[in-house]
Amino acid sequence: MTTAAHQREPAPIAAAPNRRAAGRSPRAMGLLVLQRYALLLLLGIIVLFFTLRLPDSFPTLLNVRNILGNQSVLAIVSIAAILPLIGGQFDLSIGSVLGLTSIATASALSRFSAPLWLAAMVGIGLGAAVGAFNGIAVAKLGVNALITTLGVATIITGLISWYTDGLSILTGIPRALTDLGSGVWLGLPRTLYGLALVALLAWYLLEHTPYGRYLHAVGSNPNAARLVGLDVDRVVILSFTIAGAIIGFGGVLQVARQGGGNPQTGNFFLMPALSAAFLGATTIRPGRFNVPGTIVAVFFLATTVSGLSLSGVNTWVESVFNGTALAVAVGLSTALGRRRAGG
Amino acid sequence: MVLRVEGVSKTFPGTRALDDVSLDVRRGEVHALIGNNGSGKSTLIKILAGVCSADRGEIAIGVRKFSAMRFSAADARSSGLHFVHQVPVLFPALTVAENLAIGRGFEVGRPWRIRWRDQQERARRLLERFHIRAEPEMPVAALGPVEQTLIAIARALQDQESEREGVLVLDEPSAALPGPEVDRLLETLQRYAATGRSIVYVTHRLEEVLRASDRVTALRDGRLVGTEETSTMDEAKLVSFMLGRSTPAAGRIVAEKATSSSDAAVGGPDGFLSVRGLAGGRVASVTFDLARGQVVGIAGRLGSGAAELLQMLFGALPATSGEVILDGAPLRSATPRAAVARGVAYVPADRAVNASFHSMSVRANWSAAGVSRYFRRWRLRHSVERADALAAIERFSVRAASDEQPFSTLSGGNQQKVVLARWLHELPKLLLLDEPTQGVDVHARAEIHHALRETARRGTLAIVVGSDFQELARLCDRVLVMIDGRIVADLAPPSLDAHRLSELAHFSSADPS
Repeated sequence: MTTAAHQREPAPIAAAPNRRAAGRSPRAMGLLVLQRYALLLLLGIIVLFFTLRLPDSFPTLLNVRNILGNQSVLAIVSIAAILPLIGGQFDLSIGSVLGLTSIATASALSRFSAPLWLAAMVGIGLGAAVGAFNGIAVAKLGVNALITTLGVATIITGLISWYTDGLSILTGIPRALTDLGSGVWLGLPRTLYGLALVALLAWYLLEHTPYGRYLHAVGSNPNAARLVGLDVDRVVILSFTIAGAIIGFGGVLQVARQGGGNPQTGNFFLMPALSAAFLGATTIRPGRFNVPGTIVAVFFLATTVSGLSLSGVNTWVESVFNGTALAVAVGLSTALGRRRAGG
Repeated sequence: MVLRVEGVSKTFPGTRALDDVSLDVRRGEVHALIGNNGSGKSTLIKILAGVCSADRGEIAIGVRKFSAMRFSAADARSSGLHFVHQVPVLFPALTVAENLAIGRGFEVGRPWRIRWRDQQERARRLLERFHIRAEPEMPVAALGPVEQTLIAIARALQDQESEREGVLVLDEPSAALPGPEVDRLLETLQRYAATGRSIVYVTHRLEEVLRASDRVTALRDGRLVGTEETSTMDEAKLVSFMLGRSTPAAGRIVAEKATSSSDAAVGGPDGFLSVRGLAGGRVASVTFDLARGQVVGIAGRLGSGAAELLQMLFGALPATSGEVILDGAPLRSATPRAAVARGVAYVPADRAVNASFHSMSVRANWSAAGVSRYFRRWRLRHSVERADALAAIERFSVRAASDEQPFSTLSGGNQQKVVLARWLHELPKLLLLDEPTQGVDVHARAEIHHALRETARRGTLAIVVGSDFQELARLCDRVLVMIDGRIVADLAPPSLDAHRLSELAHFSSADPS
């Protein structure tokens, strides 16, 4: 997607008149604002729709807490996914890294009786290490990111089933952690605070540090980035590594939420996380992968799915809905990105 | 007459690219088309190819007549005009036979099976006809540059075995070829023309015009200078023919060239920038010394190695040997990053590919080389960055509605000013520029010149690589002439003028002055 947009760029620039620049009409401004908040509006409409349709089951405290609690880890993984994406690279190992780090954390607690802080460090550190491996293979060896991360994901899946024999690790998880997963602070699920922490850090990194700017520059034109003196390899490797560490943190929260390590965990995260990342790029800052947009997208998808399943729709509808959302989101965000790039 | 162009004009916003230009090409001749950058050659070729439409004029090919305003690529093809561009469009991983068949169609049997034997046979006949040293089953990537160019020509002309009509237009085919290889290309072309076909040959290399063409047409500032028999020309006549008798005073935009600083122009052995035996790629051992506070030009045609020299100084291209000293300390630019850290800046030639972040804002493009400056106490100071960006936009009169505008929506000239402003804000010691005013309108060009003079006054050494010799003569304190990877001349006023530069740069035989 990035390469296609990139190749399209050079030619038409000189010819493109400053149509948008030369005085935006109030109507154009209105459209821009609408585009920016369209997904949020749609989320509101959906909430309203299901509230009216299912007044007994949908707008309940339980359901709201469920959605917020269950989706926090997915939102964290989605935020991790946008880091390499901003730099122009795909990471398909996000789901399996989540599985790996949650198994590692649970195993450290259960089989090695490690203290909680150490187990958390194991999860986060392992995530960062896998991310660094991905990044080095992509940046230094020049292996295609899709292939690298798909390969790594497959290896990890194999390792997990070897280590666990396909069984969940459920014993010996300290209460302190499981309380974090199921408990409530100020009426909100505690995992949501974990999401807030990650979102704030990622937003700060992307919008308020030079590194964020470098990552956008590398994603926009790696060659030009090299020629303004950026260390492109380092920027790319860091993006994968930070993403891995964030997923590791998500893995710890996943153990908290599930009360153990489930070897199947990773399988359910890759596609929804990518859907959310791409759908997020159509909103708040259209045409760019962005943190707030990604969070809106996660909850948009989750709310819709929750409403549908409460309406008694078959479970296969969920897959079809998620797939459709991904396809539409990729199409939209590519089109928006291209318009921004003037192609 | 095989091809006749009559009274063609074309205006782009801000420039008159072609003004009432006519051209006629006879059967069986090699017709050279020459002119400086911006003379209108490429516009004329584009109109002939049907890529771009004229405002006025007529094109006649054989007996068919077209309006130049509505001449399409399909018209060009159907009436036998064939084009081979500077860098031939080939598929390196495919074989010669496959490359020749693509676009034309394969020899197919039933059901849709490619008849490989027939295909090979046809390719072999073509290779013989064009005297190409290659086998049909070789991958194109394994061939030398001349063979690749010839294959592109053969592909364009393969269906012309019998017909006598048709014109082959070659747009600087020799630009990417090393010297001795050009001879083979020229021989093939002459042989081809001798069989009664016509060739239009666009080139910057005047010695090729003398050696291979029958007639030559020159364009200057969008106007036709004339068409002459090549046999009546010699080197000096050809340069005057192309550039005119004297440099036009009207074009003299920057009159304020600092004469005081040109006293310091004679860089001694302990110069500010000292390059000793630098070599690698096209660059074959270059040595020079330059003083600070100057604008120094390197005049070279495409393929002279001047562009590579800049990239080597910036660390974007590896040098195989040599030594560079900048401001008293060795400059070992292994990477652009290391060079930037030493205060070297580089404005590359292809702005869109090498210097633009299209999807980012004007502000982010401007600050791309120095964002870290705005990171203070754990925050990126967006407002300070914004104020500085707006100041730069103002100072370089960049036409942008706001600093948040996507970079891709700026015009070429304005983009180039932003790229220049990006580096000037870093106050570089050494500023390297490759064709900084290419594709930029006259007004922006004057502003860029002004900015460069201003920067030099503050102590920066600016090195400008260019092939527009009038511009170099006007802008620079001193100009080095580069041919085939070597510096052959070093000109400073009063001997610095566009004529002398063109003579030196266009003829490899010129002795160093």
